Amino acid sequence: MSKKDRISSTLELRGVSRHFGQVKALDGLDLLLEPGELVALLGPSGCGKTTALRIVAGLEVATAGELLVNGDRYNETPANARDMGMVFQSYSLFPNLTVSENIDYGLRARKIDSAKRSKRVTKMLELVALESKAKSYPHQLSGGQQQRVALARALAIEPRVLLLDEPLSALDAQVRSQIREEIRRIQLELGITTLFVTHDQEEAMAIADRVGVMNQGKLEQIDKPTTLYNNPATPFVASFVGQANRIPAEVSGAGNVKVLAQKIPLSPLSTVSEKTKSVIALVRPEAIHLTDSNDSESWRGLVAVKSFLGPMTTLGVASEEMPLIHINLSSKDARKIEIGDVVAFKISADEIMVESA
Amino acid sequence: MGVVRAHTRVRSSGRGTDVLPLLPFFIFTGYFLLWPVIAVTLQSFKGNKNEWTLDNFRPIVHGGPYLHSFIVSIKLALITASIGAVVGAFFAFIIVTYVRGRLKNVIDSISAVFANSGGVPLAFMFIAAFGSNGLATKFIRALGFDIYAGHFTIFSFTGVVAVYTFFQAPLMILVFQPAISGMRKEWREASTNLGASALTYWRRVGIPVLLPPFIGAFFLLFAGGFSAYATTRALTSGTVSIVPIVIGALVDGNTQASQANLGAALAVGMILVAIVVMSGYVWAQKRATQWRQS
Amino acid sequence: MSQTFLRKWALITFASLLGFTLFVLPVIASSIYSFQKPGGKGYTFVSYTWLVHQDGFFQSLGTSLELAILAGILNIVLMVPTMVYLNLKGHRFKSVVDFICILPLVIPVVCLALGAQKAMPSFLQNTQYELVFFFVIIGLPFTYRALDTSLQTVALKTLVEASRSLGASWIRTIIRVIVPAIRSGITGALFLTFALSIGEYTITSLLHWETFPTWTVVASQQNILGAIALSVFSFVGAIALLSTIALFSKRSAQHVEVNE
Repeated sequence: MSKKDRISSTLELRGVSRHFGQVKALDGLDLLLEPGELVALLGPSGCGKTTALRIVAGLEVATAGELLVNGDRYNETPANARDMGMVFQSYSLFPNLTVSENIDYGLRARKIDSAKRSKRVTKMLELVALESKAKSYPHQLSGGQQQRVALARALAIEPRVLLLDEPLSALDAQVRSQIREEIRRIQLELGITTLFVTHDQEEAMAIADRVGVMNQGKLEQIDKPTTLYNNPATPFVASFVGQANRIPAEVSGAGNVKVLAQKIPLSPLSTVSEKTKSVIALVRPEAIHLTDSNDSESWRGLVAVKSFLGPMTTLGVASEEMPLIHINLSSKDARKIEIGDVVAFKISADEIMVESA
Repeated sequence: MGVVRAHTRVRSSGRGTDVLPLLPFFIFTGYFLLWPVIAVTLQSFKGNKNEWTLDNFRPIVHGGPYLHSFIVSIKLALITASIGAVVGAFFAFIIVTYVRGRLKNVIDSISAVFANSGGVPLAFMFIAAFGSNGLATKFIRALGFDIYAGHFTIFSFTGVVAVYTFFQAPLMILVFQPAISGMRKEWREASTNLGASALTYWRRVGIPVLLPPFIGAFFLLFAGGFSAYATTRALTSGTVSIVPIVIGALVDGNTQASQANLGAALAVGMILVAIVVMSGYVWAQKRATQWRQS
Repeated sequence: MSQTFLRKWALITFASLLGFTLFVLPVIASSIYSFQKPGGKGYTFVSYTWLVHQDGFFQSLGTSLELAILAGILNIVLMVPTMVYLNLKGHRFKSVVDFICILPLVIPVVCLALGAQKAMPSFLQNTQYELVFFFVIIGLPFTYRALDTSLQTVALKTLVEASRSLGASWIRTIIRVIVPAIRSGITGALFLTFALSIGEYTITSLLHWETFPTWTVVASQQNILGAIALSVFSFVGAIALLSTIALFSKRSAQHVEVNE
């Protein structure tokens, strides 16, 4: 059996729930990870993503549902017999053991002989490029280095599944993107099925094959990052993933939304009852364009904020009776615009997603 | 339109004048703490006619009642520190693991009262409870056990041990709790996740990490058990001869110079023991914090 | 997992039983005992009131209170500026001061008493007020800890810089900004020194002064029940007082560290 076969497993959650009395931390989660896939669970704190991960790891018990790895039921398997590697948010390295001894820990627990163990440890150190730190102690390492050691330690035991619980949240911004790339690179190289939990949507979108957005114990949508972004299935997903302007609007009878000065078809995925008139329209900043024309469909406002973000610039435009509307445009185009200028703009979307006001 | 920053000069100038504001403290502690200790040390080397001599130390070193008192003191400190450390560690573990919120505040406060109890009130309370006619004695007798069946009395060495434990264990609870709270639950979870049993975890991570603070706390309890005076004095009126009581007897009332000097020598002996214990404590503290993250 | 659940409750039950026997039983037993009628049957409050009627009760109590208050004041006056300076500019000396403040915990009080007899000038030794100084010394470990912890949790440097940059003088800064910020540490130190001074026996008796503790030991030799009543009263009273404060204190459980 080649190493690749052993590592690429399927992971499935079927109707997994976790109730604390009245509180539903998880409510009937269905999730299937294909071999070698990296799926990110994204959501605000309390949405159930960490609970789901801990149930997979065996650190918490599901009150309902099934956990299957390669088709085998794992619900009753003790946490220390599941062959899953887990990386925690922080502080998980054993402080009294060196980096090598930390990585070695799981191998020793499996009673692997010492020659094989030291070969494996060396290999893991090379994988995360920390050979020089083999004899260092955790408190001597930076946050990023510690997480790399944690990753090496989890992978040393050749787990079926890799579980990551917000591994980057405690790191500095700069280090975060570096480590994030390393995790993805290693994951692809080993082809290991991975479940990655985070509240940072940029992180999730950047490295995952698929992203599952969770809210209040339920999975709202799971799709490729591009699909999630361009075709959000619910208002929550639309406002959680990417930026969204929340503009007061009105639903008119003919299935249209009257937003700003335009009438745009209502997205069928919106969840408002038939009778609702006042709604909030969710419009992406890049779906709004400045226009020269002064026709009846364009809206006018005063540029109050200008934020330079490198290749892109965001304008915050103030207008009558509307909240500050954000518009994205290329920095090149934004060069001619100053704070205090009056601009005209239009929404250029085919459908509008709304939620109730 | 910036804010004008006044020169705060919070940085140390590095010159000798830095110590000036601390002079009151150093003078105070120097005069009322260090000077008496030095005085006692000097006195222990003085003979009847004020000459320098080592004679005061001879009775101690050559065996006899004075050496015996040191042995009793050390025995008492060792036993009560051990019992207190083990019992206290157990309770500290329970409290940290299972007790939250307001109840924990209350338990901490009560522990503080117990830990700082001692001396006369404690002695009297134990006489009332565990004396031969004490209510607790009667209660236990009703359950079938007579603690006075053997040689035990509350006024004996064993009785003193029992009383000391009453404040040693709570002191341990207070001092050891931070060490237990410092044990991250991620360590245990990571260990489980990597396939190790609970035993392996405690053997390889848990105990090695907790041992230095445990030892440090033990030394602290030892120091307390060694130097306590009032409790034993009120409880036994001299029958259990620990060093402080011997010193007290030598120095009470009309003292001859020779007796006073001998008392000083005994005191110096106590200070030596204290220094050893202190070094042990400092060493343990260093070991306890060496792995700590910033 | 019901196995963990069972184990948890087995542990808690065992701990409670052990705790009860070791700690609660003596207190309850001695409390009940203290209400006994001298000579046997029945219960009474008489032992509690007996002590008050003895000669010297009020005098010795007054002495103790006076000494304790003076010790508390001296302690604050000496240690608050010292600790503030130590944490602000005097970092170099921190370990030295820390070490000195730990000494009273390790050096047996008996030795201190002996040294005091030998070393203190006679004008000092002739007054009971010499005790005030030693009470402060004995309380140093706790005072240091209380003030230091309080100062660490407050962003001292930032507060000072903010106050000074707004034009306040040093004195104003200390009084109006720093002291209120470390109020809990100051009250803690005050309380501890006060409690320690009121109950201090060792140095007081070895230096042959009469304060409340030493007086009660002598007086109670005639009436053990009275002494017991007093002991119970002070002990249970302290527990009741602190527990009530703890019940109503909103801050999350902090670790009371006697030493570190």
